[in-house]
Parts: sequence; structure tokens; C-alpha cells
Amino acid sequence: MDRRSMMKFAGAAGAVAGLGALTSPARAAGKVTIALIPGLTADGFYVTMHKGAIAAAQALGVDLIYQGAAEWNVALEVPVLEAVVAKKPAAILIAPNDKQQLIAPLKKAFDAGIQIVCVDTFIGTGVFQTGSGDADFPVSYVASDNVLGGKMAAAALGKAIGGKGKVYVANVKPGISTTDQREQGFKEGMKAFPGAQVLETQFNDDDANKAAAQFQAVLGRAPDLAGVFGANLFSASGAANGAKQAGVAGKVKIAGFDAPESIVAQLKDGTFEMTIAQHPAEIGYFGLVAAYAKVTGNPVPTAIGTGFTVMTKANIDDPNVKKFLYSSK
Amino acid sequence: MSEPAPILSVRSVSKSFGAVRALDRASFDVLPGEVVALAGDNGAGKSTIIKAISGVISRDGGDILLDGKSVAFATPHEARDSGIETIYQDLSLADNLSIGANIFLGREPMRRAFGFLPVLDRRKMAEAARETMARLDFHVDRLDAPVAAFSGGQRQAVAIGRAIFWNARIVIMDEPTAALGVPEQRKVMSLIRSLKAEGKGVIFISHNLRDIFDVADRIVVFRRGENAGERRPAETTSDEIVRLMVGK
Amino acid sequence: MTTAAVPAPSARISPLAQVARLRAWLFLILLAATFEVWTRIANGASFVLSVYNLQAIAIFASAPLMLGLGQTFVIISAGIDLSLGFVMGLASVVAAHAANFGLARLGMGPAEAALFGIAVGVLATVPAGLVNGWLIAVLKVPPFIGTLGMYGVSRGAAYLLAAGMTVAVNDDWYGAIGNGRLGPFPVLVLLTAVACVALHYVLSQTRFGQHVYAMGASKAAASRAGIDVRRLTMKIYLLSAVMGGVAGALYTGRFSAGAPQAGEPLLLDSIAAVVIGGASLFGGSGTIWGTVAGAFVIAVIQYGLVLVDVEPFWQFIAVGGIIIVSVLVDQTQRRFLGGRVDE
Ligand SMILES: Nc1ncnc2c1ncn2[C@@H]1O[C@H](COP(=O)(O)OP(=O)(O)OP(=O)(O)O)[C@@H](O)[C@H]1O
Ligand SMILES: [Mg+2]
Repeated sequence: MDRRSMMKFAGAAGAVAGLGALTSPARAAGKVTIALIPGLTADGFYVTMHKGAIAAAQALGVDLIYQGAAEWNVALEVPVLEAVVAKKPAAILIAPNDKQQLIAPLKKAFDAGIQIVCVDTFIGTGVFQTGSGDADFPVSYVASDNVLGGKMAAAALGKAIGGKGKVYVANVKPGISTTDQREQGFKEGMKAFPGAQVLETQFNDDDANKAAAQFQAVLGRAPDLAGVFGANLFSASGAANGAKQAGVAGKVKIAGFDAPESIVAQLKDGTFEMTIAQHPAEIGYFGLVAAYAKVTGNPVPTAIGTGFTVMTKANIDDPNVKKFLYSSK
Repeated sequence: MSEPAPILSVRSVSKSFGAVRALDRASFDVLPGEVVALAGDNGAGKSTIIKAISGVISRDGGDILLDGKSVAFATPHEARDSGIETIYQDLSLADNLSIGANIFLGREPMRRAFGFLPVLDRRKMAEAARETMARLDFHVDRLDAPVAAFSGGQRQAVAIGRAIFWNARIVIMDEPTAALGVPEQRKVMSLIRSLKAEGKGVIFISHNLRDIFDVADRIVVFRRGENAGERRPAETTSDEIVRLMVGK
Repeated sequence: MTTAAVPAPSARISPLAQVARLRAWLFLILLAATFEVWTRIANGASFVLSVYNLQAIAIFASAPLMLGLGQTFVIISAGIDLSLGFVMGLASVVAAHAANFGLARLGMGPAEAALFGIAVGVLATVPAGLVNGWLIAVLKVPPFIGTLGMYGVSRGAAYLLAAGMTVAVNDDWYGAIGNGRLGPFPVLVLLTAVACVALHYVLSQTRFGQHVYAMGASKAAASRAGIDVRRLTMKIYLLSAVMGGVAGALYTGRFSAGAPQAGEPLLLDSIAAVVIGGASLFGGSGTIWGTVAGAFVIAVIQYGLVLVDVEPFWQFIAVGGIIIVSVLVDQTQRRFLGGRVDE
């Protein structure tokens, strides 16, 4: 296992291996059209995912349609899906806005002969092609393994605090599958540090201002607070600001999740001890490859987990790390 | 006998709202110290004519003369500046403000706090409120209370007080007694008489013929936006006025 | 002149109405007392007599309060400004870009660039405020709908300008405005206090403020009294947007980054602060000090419950409960005072 970067290659490597065969000229005759519907368009994570999909589409000679709603809302995503279905792509990569409500619309697309690949989020249980249940029809689920991401955060943060002291998870709100999984992974990972104690999770509604106040309140009651795991960007930057306001910046270690470009300066000035970068471009890339493989009659793994990179002040200038920053360009 | 010159002359004023001809060459005069009652069925155009006078709406044709000079007010503000105050049954007061603040609404007096900072001159407003209400024989002990705390008649008095405070020469009242109890209606009637005594011209709209006969010097009847007749109370009867109103 | 004697009006403000008027401060005192006892028992420390706690709460309350100050004018005028959620984000993103532009292209020093960023960020909200005002005053669009439209537009603009991400700023001066102290006072809190005093003056001591109240009681009365209600409406929404701009520009300094979604979670808290502070959503009532108390009520509950380690979900219940009690008190007060409030 690479120290900086871990990947669950089980599925991904297989898909990459198949790439050469898939691009054989015999298949290139009729151009394949594949659509990508992000969870929302206005988000660096999905922008980066789109770029990964473009890279794969170019390599495979696929026509890529990119359409999405401006915000995270089932009522907006379904019309976009229907409009995309009307264009009759061979496959759709989609980040469903809801586990349940997207099942029927996607089933309709599937029944019309379109292959479905879930990226980042999923429908039903996220376990596909089992032959049971009403939501097992998608070909594959391609996403970060968020439990793993949480565990990596625990490993890195636990080490940074020397394995002792109090920590807590700053989280958005309960019920979001990805952030719930990160929290779960983090708590599991912290078990490796028996000297450390995980306090009650604080939910901030994605409000950095509230996350900052919560940090100060927790510190007020637990002066031996050693670290915080912010399960998403605003949770982490809010907690980091709380530390700054309380005058304990750098003393209480903040581990973040996700890696917009603005994280670089915050790692360098010690606002963040580390951040766990997902690999959204890989999700887009492997999602598209999986869809193409299915359309061209090749076997596809039903779950593909993409990796993470732990970014710190020490490694952020390394091009191999830097390339995982979510970029709009 | 030569009558004094009218303060206000409405001459052949017309106004249409789309296909509805709300006013069709409506005319009447108001003399100083005179109470002119406008009578007419619902939709006869009474409110429309006073809105045309007070700058709420523009007229399509005809002329309005103030002291013999043609005027066309673009806003109620301009009409007020020319001495025309209008009192509505329910629209003229801000219920959450004090009597003084209502009297000065839109023309608040300012003073300088610490010699430089402009602030509302609440004392001046309260003083004016006390004086004005005393002039109308209302004695108020809580000048900072919002007018919502007063009765309908008391609030009507505030509206009338505003008109006399600003030295209105013409006071227009659109159904000022419609929602009042009998004692309060009487009070408003007596206020109208005091305005008249101060030499103001009063335009008074009411559906209550008894009130009209009580205070009016002249009754101008409208029917479907047109003049249907003009009578002095002493020379007519309610029955005749009603006949003029319905056109039979 | 003396006419028929009629009982003199004697409008008294009942003690009950006085209590209702000051309810936000009462809530605040009750909350502070409760947490004082609670933290002494749970943590063995004072709640109120802790500079640390007071600083944290004041900083916490600052951001929603900035939004709430402009919103107070809007709500008193019987309107609502939902666009603030993203007008703040738009200002935050624009301020970040402008500060960076000042540093990189205009050769500004960090102090100049910070001020430049703040100025440009605040200016960026002017069109939003004017369009809100125009929609509501001229096109007669209901405020709820008009500002919801602007919510969407500024959201889109903010995300486009930020390319769906956050925009980092590296400017120590700007950071100091967001996170610095003057003595024991966080700069953010001092700036918010200045804004409170200034806007209290505007609302309570100027013609503009007086007209805002009149308009909230009755637009027709205001307009018949000669107030230009259209211009007034434009000014009110402009003020609200600019306060959103100030909040957004300060956010950028505090978090060293402009974020499109900076204000969205604050919008409802800011409205709640105004309502808890004694304003009626029907318009005509409300004060700046009420809103200040309302913002602190929300901040104290949320901070206090974390400090004494209560399950997080109780926070939602507590804030929701206070809002409900507040609105009920308002209704009751209306019934007592307001048998006469027509319409
Ligand atoms: N703003 C408007 N738009 C369209 N039509 C209007 C408008 N204002 C008045 N009207 C119409 O003009 C006519 C005269 O109305 P006005 O209000 O002047 O009557 P009125 O004599 O005051 O009646 P009432 O005794 O019921 O108050 C009516 O047919 C009315 O419907
Ligand atoms: Mg009428």
C-alpha cells in the first residue's frame, strides 16, 4: 500500500486492463453515445468527475453528453434524466439524488435499453446485479469507498495527535450516505488508538459559521481536545476557523475531507493538518469505461471503489499529490 | 348676491379605466367655508373624482382649477403641498405609529442631536399632536401610543387633525363615517363643522343621507360618472336625492 | 372650539404588551441563567463570566446578525428577502476574486487588496438589491417570489464565478479582518456592533426608518401621505443586499476563501433572529435591538447545548421551540392590542 495514496484496484484495474481490447477498430464502427448526469452541476467534485469521463470518452471514441441540474434536488434531476433518455444514449452514468425516488425513472430508462451506471451515489442498496430487489438493474456502482476514506483520516489524524487525546467528527447532518460512511470509517479507524477518545459528533448543516462555534463549545468543555475530523469541506474549514478564533490553530489538528484548490494554502499555513482527497476524475473515468464495456458486450465488475490521497503540508507540492486537487480547469 | 370665488373648480373631468367610463364630464365647485357632499350609488364615480383631485390618478380630460389656476398633481405629495388633504375611511393612517408620527408622515421634522446628527424631532411631533388634538377637543394622555390603540372615531380625528395641522384649505373625506358607531359618527360630523368654521372647503362623501343633510351646504349627485343634479339641503328631500341617484 | 364631549382617548401600553415587546431579551436572560446553572453543574465553570464563551458566541452570532439587520428593514416593510442566502455567497466569491486581482494584477499591498476586495464584493450586491426592489416595487411581484428568483440568479452567478468551487485568498490583512482582535474584541464582532448602532440610528431616527414602519403598516397610507413607496422599496432591498454583501465580504476574510454557499445556511437563522426579536412577518413592527437579541438567543442555545454536551438533535428542537413561542407571543399581543388592526 502506497503511503500517500490507496486504491481499491479490484475492479478498477480490471476495467483498465480491458481498455485496449475495447478500443479495437471492429467496435468503433457505430459511435457509442454515453451520458453523464452529475449530482449537481455547480460543484468542483462533479466538474472534476466530468473531466475524468471526458478523458475516457476520448480514449474510447465515445460521444459524451453532460447534463445536470444546478442543485441537489430529485425534482430537478428527474426531468434532466428524462430529457437525456429521449436522446437514446447507449448508457447513462448518474449520481442519483435519492436512493429511492430515482429507482422508477432509472428503471424506465433501463427498460428502454439504456445501461445504467451509478457514480458517487447509488439507488437501492448500492449492491447491483444480484437478481433480487427492484433496484439491482444498474451495471455497476463506481465511487469512493467512503468508509475507507474515514479510516484513512483516522489513521492519519490518530498519528498526528500521537495516539492520545480527544477527537470528534464535525459532520453535515445525519442521513447522507457518504458523510455517514466517512464518520463510520473514522470511528472504526480510531479504535486502533486506544489512548484517544472519540466525542459526540457535531452536526452543522453545512454551515461553516456553526461548525466554528461548535468547535469552540467542544473545546470549552474539553480543553484536552486534540483533533477534529471534518467530514466535508465546510465542516472542516468551520472547525479550523473555530481553532483559529480560540487561538489553538495548529495545536488542535484538523483533518478535512475533499480537496478544492483553496486547500493548498490552508495546508501550508497549518489551518488544516491534512485532508483526504477523493479521486473524482477516476470515478468519471472508470464509470465511463464500465458503461462502455457493458455496451460493447464485455463483463463489468458490479462495484468499483476508487481511491484517496492524504494531502499534508509536507507532500502537497509533490506533483503526484497535487494532481488530485479538484480543479475547475 | 355675489358668492365668493370658489377655491376649487372641477370642470368636465373625464376618466376611463379600460372600457369603464368612471367619470364623464363631471363638474362641481367648492367655496371657502363650504361643505360639498358628493352623493351617488355604488360605482357612480365619487371616489374616482376625489382621486383625480388629490393626485392619486390622472384625468383623461377636463380641468381642475385651484384658486382659478389649472392644476394636475402627479402625486398625492404635490396635492398636499398645495393644501389639499384627503382622508380615507381606512387608508390614511399608519396604525403602528403615534399620532404625531402620523400627522407628520412624509414630512417629519428633524433636529440635530449633539449638534450634528440629524434625528427625528419626536418632541415636536408629540407637541403638535397634543395641540392639534386639543383643537379638535381630543385630549390624549399617551402621545407615544400607536394609533392602533384608539377607536375608529378617534383615529378619524387623527386623520382630520393631520389635515388641519397642515393648514389644508380643502379637506376631502371619503366615507369617513362608514365604519363608525353612532356617537363617533356624531363626533366626526362636529369635526366637519369645525373645519367649515375655520373657513376650509370640505368635500364629503357618504352613503348616509341623514349625515349629508346634517352637514352639507350643497349636495352634488353623480350617476354613472355624470352630474345628475345639484341641490341645497334646505330646498330638497331625501326622496328627490335618491331619485336623482338612481335616475328615475 | 369646543364640541360635543367625547371620552378622551387614553391609549395605554399594557404591561403585557411591554413584556411581549421585550421578549427576546427575556428569552436571552432566561437562557443565560439556565446555561449558567447547567455549565456550573456539568462543567464546573461559569457560562456568562467567561470571556472565551462570550467571544465565541459573539462571533457565532455575527454572521446571521449581519444578514438579519437588513432583513429587519425588509420584514418591517412587510416584505421578505430570500435572495440574501446567495447574495452573500456572490459577494463572498466576488470579494475573493477582487482581492486576488488586486494583489496579482494591480500591484496592491495586502491591506489595499483586502479593502478593494471588500468594496468590490459589496458593490456586486447592488444590482441584486436594485433588481429585487424593481421586481417588487414596479412589477408588483410578491417579495417572496421576486427574491426567490434573485436567490436563484445570484446562486448561479456565484457558482459560475467560483467554477463550482471555493476561491482561495492569501491576504494576511484580509484574514486579520476576519479573524483578528482588538484587545478582547474580535474585529468581526466590532464591525457587527458598528453596523447595529448605525442601522438602529437609521431605523429609529431618520425619515427613511419612519417610512419603513409606515409602509409596513399600510402601503396605501404611506403612499397617500406622499411617501414615494417605490423608491422606498428599492432602497430597502438595496440596503438588505448591501448588508448581505458586507456579510459575504467578511466571510471571505474569515475563511480565507470565497464560497458561493456561504450564506445559504444562514438565511433562515437570520429570519428567525428577526422574528424572535419581535418583528411581525405581517410587517409594521420590529427593532434592530430585537434582532440583535434574537440572533444571540439562537447563538446561545446552539453554543450552550454543545458546551454542556447535549445530543445534537435537541438543538433543532430548542431553536424551533423558541421560534414557535415567539410567534405565539406576537399573535397574542396582536389580539390584545390589535382588536383594531384592520385588514
Ligand atoms: N382603478 C380602477 N380600475 C378599473 N376600474 C375602476 C378603478 N377605479 C374605479 N373603477 C371603476 O370606476 C367606476 C367608479 O368607481 P368609484 O370607486 O369612483 O365609485 P364610487 O362612487 O366611489 O362607489 P362607492 O360608493 O361604491 O365607493 C366603477 O365602475 C369602478 O368599478
Ligand atoms: Mg367610493
